[in-house]
Amino acid sequence: MAKKNLKIIGTPVPKHDAKIRVTGEAVYGHDIKLPGMLYGAILRTEHPHATFTIDVSAAKKLPGVICVITADDVDTNNISYKRDHPILKKEEVNCIRDEIAAVAAETKEIAEKALKLIKVKYKIKKGIYEPLDALKSGAPLINKFSSGKFEHKNIAEKFYYEHGNIEEQRKKSMVVVKRTFTLPRMTHACLGTSNITAHYNKTTGKLLLYSSTQVPFLYQRDMAHALKMNPSDIRIIQPVIGGGFGSKLDMYPFEPICALLSIKTGRPVQILYSRHEEFLASPTRQPMTIEIEAGADKDGNFTFRDVNVIKDNGAYTSWGATTPFVIMQAFSSLYTLPACRFSATAIYTNNVFAGSFRGYGNPQATFALERVIDLLADKLGMDKAQIRIKNANRPGETTGQGLFFETCGHQDCLQTVIKKAGKKRKSENNRYRRGMGYASMIHVGGGAKIYRSDGCGTTIKIDPYGYCTIISGSNEIGQGSETVLAMIAAEELGISLDKIKVINTDTDIKPWDVGVHASRTSFVAGNSLLGAIRILKEKLNLKAGELLQEKSTSFNYEDGFIKTKSKQIALDKVVREMHFTLPNELAIASYFYEPSSQFQDKGFKGNVSGTYAFASQAIEVEVDTYTGNVRVLTVHVAQDVGKVLNPLLLDGQIHGGVLQGVGYALTEELIFKEGYLLNPNFHNYKLLTAADTPDIHFYPVETHDKQGPYGAKGVGEAPLIPTAAAIANAVCDALQIEMLELPITPERVLVALKNKNNK
Amino acid sequence: MDFSVVSPQNLSQLRNAIRTLQRKPYRIGAGYTDLLMELRKSDTSDLTVINLAQINDNGLSHIKSLVNHVHIGAMVTATSICMNDDIARRFPTLQQAAANLASTQIRNVATIGGNLCTASPSGDMACAIVALKAHCVLMNVDGKKRVVPVVDFFTGPRTTCLKKNEFLYKIILPRNHKQTQHIHSGFIKVGTRNAMECSVVSLAYHIQVEESGYVIDAGIGIGASAPTIRFAEKAALNLIGKNMQNFTDENRNEFAKKVLTYASPISDVRATSWYRKEVLYNISKSVLV
Repeated sequence: MAKKNLKIIGTPVPKHDAKIRVTGEAVYGHDIKLPGMLYGAILRTEHPHATFTIDVSAAKKLPGVICVITADDVDTNNISYKRDHPILKKEEVNCIRDEIAAVAAETKEIAEKALKLIKVKYKIKKGIYEPLDALKSGAPLINKFSSGKFEHKNIAEKFYYEHGNIEEQRKKSMVVVKRTFTLPRMTHACLGTSNITAHYNKTTGKLLLYSSTQVPFLYQRDMAHALKMNPSDIRIIQPVIGGGFGSKLDMYPFEPICALLSIKTGRPVQILYSRHEEFLASPTRQPMTIEIEAGADKDGNFTFRDVNVIKDNGAYTSWGATTPFVIMQAFSSLYTLPACRFSATAIYTNNVFAGSFRGYGNPQATFALERVIDLLADKLGMDKAQIRIKNANRPGETTGQGLFFETCGHQDCLQTVIKKAGKKRKSENNRYRRGMGYASMIHVGGGAKIYRSDGCGTTIKIDPYGYCTIISGSNEIGQGSETVLAMIAAEELGISLDKIKVINTDTDIKPWDVGVHASRTSFVAGNSLLGAIRILKEKLNLKAGELLQEKSTSFNYEDGFIKTKSKQIALDKVVREMHFTLPNELAIASYFYEPSSQFQDKGFKGNVSGTYAFASQAIEVEVDTYTGNVRVLTVHVAQDVGKVLNPLLLDGQIHGGVLQGVGYALTEELIFKEGYLLNPNFHNYKLLTAADTPDIHFYPVETHDKQGPYGAKGVGEAPLIPTAAAIANAVCDALQIEMLELPITPERVLVALKNKNNK
Repeated sequence: MDFSVVSPQNLSQLRNAIRTLQRKPYRIGAGYTDLLMELRKSDTSDLTVINLAQINDNGLSHIKSLVNHVHIGAMVTATSICMNDDIARRFPTLQQAAANLASTQIRNVATIGGNLCTASPSGDMACAIVALKAHCVLMNVDGKKRVVPVVDFFTGPRTTCLKKNEFLYKIILPRNHKQTQHIHSGFIKVGTRNAMECSVVSLAYHIQVEESGYVIDAGIGIGASAPTIRFAEKAALNLIGKNMQNFTDENRNEFAKKVLTYASPISDVRATSWYRKEVLYNISKSVLV
């Protein structure tokens, strides 16, 4: 059991790696230079759908070009969890990202020049860019590697879930609202573009990859499958990662391509995306339409939700197709609900595919759900705050889907933001209109049991000088997990933070972990570390007892000493005595933590996470009716974080998440026309800046979940999940209009106003 | 990017550089905030960039306040314009346009000459310069100067009246009238972000009012609404002789309608033509408070 009187946990410890990051000393993937390294570049299709022939002979002749590959030169397996994605495309392209050739050259410039020398003849074909068009009779098969297990050949994935009796609840409903919402493609826009450096050693047959993956052990397995190698012959080292947000949860073609170039040449090869390539070829948030029908009884109790989601799968499958795991949780379990029916279909098109993105479908679901709640309240003539408080989840609740809330701060969160936000300020004049919007969210807060294990391994050691090394399976993608782990060790072992090292970047060294996602790292890696510390302390206590001639094994670890009330001994001395006197034991311990969560059954029922996080936001906006611009004035955030481990890092997550949520609500959208991307640059992809940050007020709600380390829950994704929903509600409140689509661009606002005035 | 660079140290070296490149493609680099982006997209193998970063010439790099005019050298940065007291007090439209440009980092290097010579329909400082009825001083390789009204400087999207043997030397702003007691001057930029934004629509206005409240002179520039920045002459003339205190809704609508006659916007990835017109109309109304 973790300590009670805390000295370090809960304090604003700056990020472990802050200094090397701000001084520019941190080594990102882009900074890696290996002896003899070549530069790789990828030729992508010019058209979203075409057949083609390719001639690379001129590129091969260019001095400085070492290797050129096309689909004909490689023997690989398809990638993606559906295994429907060839690494290099042969004869036919199906989306504008498609990789058709790759080169390795002595310099980046030569590599780029070589790409221009590759001659490709395209025969353009008419593509399918609307999911429902792909289901029409006569539509061609889009992905010839698809499983074909669904009723239509162009369906990539399906989900169905239900609980309760929809028809009975419909009869009980006094009001029913039905709407269809449309959600855009948003991109992660990581500051560090995608990168990989591959080094294959022809003598040993081993492959070393410097990769920014968020999931090194799954990646190792996927890479091995793609390249037909043994996973353990592949070593993954993670350099400092310049932003993840879910984008690096899957393996994409450029990564095995880089490995193939290294295998062919026997030299290290590096591929770095340009910003243009990053916009074009890194995955997006899953776009979708959500059709939802929902009801409430005369007292405002929610009765049922009937939801149908259509997702544009793009030409190949990535994690975007599995977002219904999370989407259905929001619909089944956010606010108490007697009945829910949910279906989702992912349909192949000739568009780009979507991956995972912070929130994993939840911002989409929450937007649709929270908009409909406002509409239900309007129909009932009920206050929008009160209808939410009335239906909010409660501790001890087991939802229709089987999620069990041992702790639940939903009501606290709602009441806090509603009180803090107060009444909206009066609009000053006719031009500028003010509005207030509320939204809540539920998200896994203790991992998510999707893979065979949702666990994390840790090895901890103390050296003879009293320094501690934590070897954690989990990894750092900027969220601060190294800092939190060091704080836990400092708290429990009484070792100062500067004497704690975290090793977490090398698959040859670190124990297994499923990866950074699902807001799981502090929870899972924290619990794993606490387990390892417990075992280590048993060893240290035994030796300390012997040295202090103390029978009790109840010691305090403080300031580098192991103490009883009357005696103390330096920790490093105990370690030296362990090492150098009989029976010569190492001060080292390992532990594997597996959360108490369950696999869901075939109907997606079961308690999938160790704990659940809740959050509410109240957002006030001002809309300029002349231009349609929405200014976000204040954002009040209350989040059930279980326990604040580090308020500084937590604030960072809240601010970053909220701003990302504002972007999703108002400005960010990759715009495609007939499969072509129109805005692959920051000029026209409107990522928000520091100058656009609203006033953010954060109120942590501590529910002390006994599953979490010190009572903590996962926090990383939650801050952005309800933001777009609350903003949309605020805009609709300000103008008395309907918004069925994100982002709420100035133009969409003016169109909505025009339509309202013309009615 | 693969191009040659020459870096003249003074005006005569600059003229020589241009003279020797008369039969070859060249571009002039001042702040490079637009040029670099453009060069990245194009084949630059045969190109020479005439780099102005090292040039030392007061006429090019200074703001000079004279009795009847203000001279702004083509190499004056947006930041220098923001910080100039004479411009802030007497030509707020230009000060605001410069202050709303992109970001601090970009304002520190982006020049007014670059903003004009790029001739983007959405140039912010250029739009204010149009409203201020400024003149451009062009110099040729022989040192001969030619003065053109700024509206005539722009000949189309990204094209100017500059001949291949000329460069933009400075901009001359006429002083406000002696009778002017009050100026109603500003720059309205419409876009989605508060920084790093390119105008979706912009409007620069500079209205001079005498003591009794009557408008004696007015300049209206509109950006991102036509192939070039336009001077909305009929809208400006419409204001002259009217009293600033007594504008009615009818006046405002009339004014906005006149502004709109100069707009022929395109639809692109940032906004539709419909939106641009709608917003231009709305913000035009808002000018006459």
